[in-house]
Amino acid sequence: MLSGSQWKYLARESVAGFRRRTLTTGVTILIMSSSLMVLAVLTMTTLNLGNLLDTARQGIDMRVFLMDNLPAQQLAELQPRLLRIPGVADVQFISRDMALDEFRQSLGDDASLLALLDANPLPASYRLELTRGSRTLQAVHGIRDEIAGWEEVSDILYNQEWIDVLERWTYRFQMASLVVGLVVFLAAIFVISNTVKLTIASSSAVIRVQKLVGATNTFIRTPFICEGMMQGLLAGTLAMGLLATAMHVMKDELTGLIVFTPAQMAGFVGLCVVLGLIGSWAAMGKYLGLRSEG
Amino acid sequence: MPHNSTSSPDRPERDGQGPLEERVIISLNHVNLSYPDQVALKDVNFQVANGEFLCLTGPSGAGKSSILRLISMDAFPTRGQVRVRGMLASSMNRRRIPQLRREIGFVFQDFRLLEDRSVYDNVAFAQLVIGVPGRQIAENVTRVLNKVGLWEKRHRKPCQLSGGEQQRVAVARAMVNSPKILLADEPTGNLDPVTAQEIIDLLFRFNDMGTCVIFSTHDHGIVKTFGRRVIVLENGAIVSDKLRDDQVDRTARLDDGMYRAESAGPRPQQVEVPSHA
Ligand SMILES: Nc1ncnc2c1ncn2[C@@H]1O[C@H](COP(=O)(O)OP(=O)(O)OP(=O)(O)O)[C@@H](O)[C@H]1O
Ligand SMILES: [Mg+2]
Repeated sequence: MLSGSQWKYLARESVAGFRRRTLTTGVTILIMSSSLMVLAVLTMTTLNLGNLLDTARQGIDMRVFLMDNLPAQQLAELQPRLLRIPGVADVQFISRDMALDEFRQSLGDDASLLALLDANPLPASYRLELTRGSRTLQAVHGIRDEIAGWEEVSDILYNQEWIDVLERWTYRFQMASLVVGLVVFLAAIFVISNTVKLTIASSSAVIRVQKLVGATNTFIRTPFICEGMMQGLLAGTLAMGLLATAMHVMKDELTGLIVFTPAQMAGFVGLCVVLGLIGSWAAMGKYLGLRSEG
Repeated sequence: MPHNSTSSPDRPERDGQGPLEERVIISLNHVNLSYPDQVALKDVNFQVANGEFLCLTGPSGAGKSSILRLISMDAFPTRGQVRVRGMLASSMNRRRIPQLRREIGFVFQDFRLLEDRSVYDNVAFAQLVIGVPGRQIAENVTRVLNKVGLWEKRHRKPCQLSGGEQQRVAVARAMVNSPKILLADEPTGNLDPVTAQEIIDLLFRFNDMGTCVIFSTHDHGIVKTFGRRVIVLENGAIVSDKLRDDQVDRTARLDDGMYRAESAGPRPQQVEVPSHA
């Protein structure tokens, strides 16, 4: 590996290089950090949508209403049959009386109206609790189709519409974020590799002499890799700094939403350093001309 | 031929294998070099002993630079073998090439100095990038700059020096790592005859200290007065390979037919025993 004097030399060179190319480097960092901000905001939005969907799914509640006057024997067999359906975690029987009680409670002050009825009009039902993995529209439909044909069942209800809509939109949004994220990723790598290419082009004389006097490829590459990683670090730090400031300003609006923790922000900066590494590596592949020498 | 290195193609040559082999530092064995659109070298065959001083000459495009690039492993033979300090080009791990380059100094016609650095830094650069410790760098640079007579001008930038002085900086940079071999591709190409002779004299001085020097030139004046081994190339082939000081009538021939071979193709290699070693 590199010796102490070599590291000292590289450090000196990279500081000098940064100074020489303040403008290019500055522009690169600005472009990168703004695209990274977009990426961060998208990530947080996606996380929140997912969270929202998760909460909504927990509320998915299937009610299987039963025919009137089922024989006790048939009623008793129904519970294990329902439990055997994949995706059903638990079932709870709600008798006609319990249903009426529930109804009465929900009416509150108007409960006296029920006195007008001479018989209980509510059917008995089973409430199905679904396993975590089955709280999707698709799974709910599957369960419905399975039960719908049973002769004991009169009706199946679930709060479907808005979960349906939410699910679809979350999916679309996640796909869009993925595409945008990918584009931002590639763009960041491209921008960094372009700046590094410029540096390499402007250092061609130095590189030529380095090869001439027997510098190893590792040594020749190091300053360019450092430059790319440095740019990633600065851009990532700037982006996260701006994001943290924005989050601080909008503290009240953001309560209850998922936001990046400091650790996640640090991770994001780390990711940017990796982007810088990839970018500079990509730049060197073609422009350093070291391939023939390993 | 007993000293032909093909006898052990896979084994690096080691010191002490024999008196002659011990002295061979570079050998090209029936080497062909082709570029995509043309053949640069055809069946080039010669050996160079440690400490030898050799001149490559021939018209433009004859293949002088190509031979030097083969020796520094900047190019690889299409056919045949190139062996430098026991290392065979064809089986050489590419990662070890930087190591080889540290044992070879290189000087070019266009100096190739770094314009934004002082004379001192240009020479020190060659040591810095290979990781020589700081104190040793100062010592070596001081020594070599004194040797080429540029210590007083060490703070100048290359643009503040004459062409000859710039080339002396380049020689200093090539020599600061104390290489066993110094390759100089038309080192006098951009210089007037007097300055050119100074550079050749400088090369002689480094050769006197035991460095094997190979330089290329198409300067008739230099070839005429060069009293050592001269290899003449033409169209990528060696047309003559002779020691100047035992070929008395050679000067006349070179005068009227500089690059013409008097007879057939390549001759058997000759290895000069260095007189100063
Ligand atoms: N990179 C290359 N690609 C293709 N052809 C090349 C390349 N380098 C050299 N050649 C060809 O190989 C031949 C030998 O070139 P070389 O540079 O060795 O000649 P030279 O003797 O050094 O000439 P000069 O005295 O002009 O420097 C020439 O015909 C040249 O055109
Ligand atoms: Mg040439």
